[in-house]
Amino acid sequence: MEGHQRNLFLYERLNARVAGVSRDQVDTLRYWTEEMGLTFPIFSNPIGHLGIWFGTLEEGYPMFSRKTVVIDKWGVIRYVQAGSPDFREILTLLKQLHEEEAER
Amino acid sequence: MNPALTRRFIFQPLIAVCAAFLFSACAQAATRVADPLAQMRQPDGVVVWQQEYRFVPPPLPWQLIDLDEDDYSIAFMKICSEGYPCQSTLAYAEEPFGYSLDFEERQTEFFKRFLWASRVTFAPPELRKVKIGGREGLEGITIGVEPVLKHKVRCKILFFRRGERVVAFYYTQWRSEEKPFDTADEADFDRFAESFDFLRPSFYESLFTQTP
Repeated sequence: MEGHQRNLFLYERLNARVAGVSRDQVDTLRYWTEEMGLTFPIFSNPIGHLGIWFGTLEEGYPMFSRKTVVIDKWGVIRYVQAGSPDFREILTLLKQLHEEEAER
Repeated sequence: MNPALTRRFIFQPLIAVCAAFLFSACAQAATRVADPLAQMRQPDGVVVWQQEYRFVPPPLPWQLIDLDEDDYSIAFMKICSEGYPCQSTLAYAEEPFGYSLDFEERQTEFFKRFLWASRVTFAPPELRKVKIGGREGLEGITIGVEPVLKHKVRCKILFFRRGERVVAFYYTQWRSEEKPFDTADEADFDRFAESFDFLRPSFYESLFTQTP
């Protein structure tokens, strides 16, 4: 999350937005984001259906596993990567999507 | 594109949304590596690191360490003969804690997170503008105290820029509360920082200037 916050100014230039998803309750996330100084939205999804959709909810484990998903302007998933975010990969893709957007 | 990945998503506002699922990950324990600099050392003693950086490494018994975390790019550790907690660490960090591009704001964010897991209480840092390898920078020096184990740590952080992003050199020296700090290690850190240079533009500097 810190890495995303650090890159917000680059996401802005590439006309991209970032959001996080967690199974924690809203109050927990509010406290946590304030403590961390995060300014982008973190969605609370205790039921976990987003995790089921994106394959981040492992059976018998109560939390989402870490995954990065990039969705383009037209709602198409363009990138899915498990584990810690690879910011170089993400920014390179966002730049490509931004250029695609300009061409359409 | 894989058709299985083609789905609609309801709350995505503009061109793209990165949704990051996380909550885990703490620093891994440091692992020693046996003389990994030998192949990178030039005849004049300068180390060329992955065609990205050049620097003069601190002398033995400083050891290159692998902290196995993305926030550190290069780090060295020196452990005293008397053992824990007597040790020093110096590092170049490509992604120091915090987010702001302004040095003053960044140091505030930085010290809120730095050594967070060690439960250290820092004194307000002494700040001064400095030149680091000819670049404008901000130096922050402070001492932190871990009140339960009765350890103390002297920290010196040098913030400067690579392109528009803030990068930093870190120095920490841990001692028991009653032991004095050793200024020789800090001098090694200063020499390391002063010798450090970049061999090419960073990924971030190249992002908006190069075509894919």
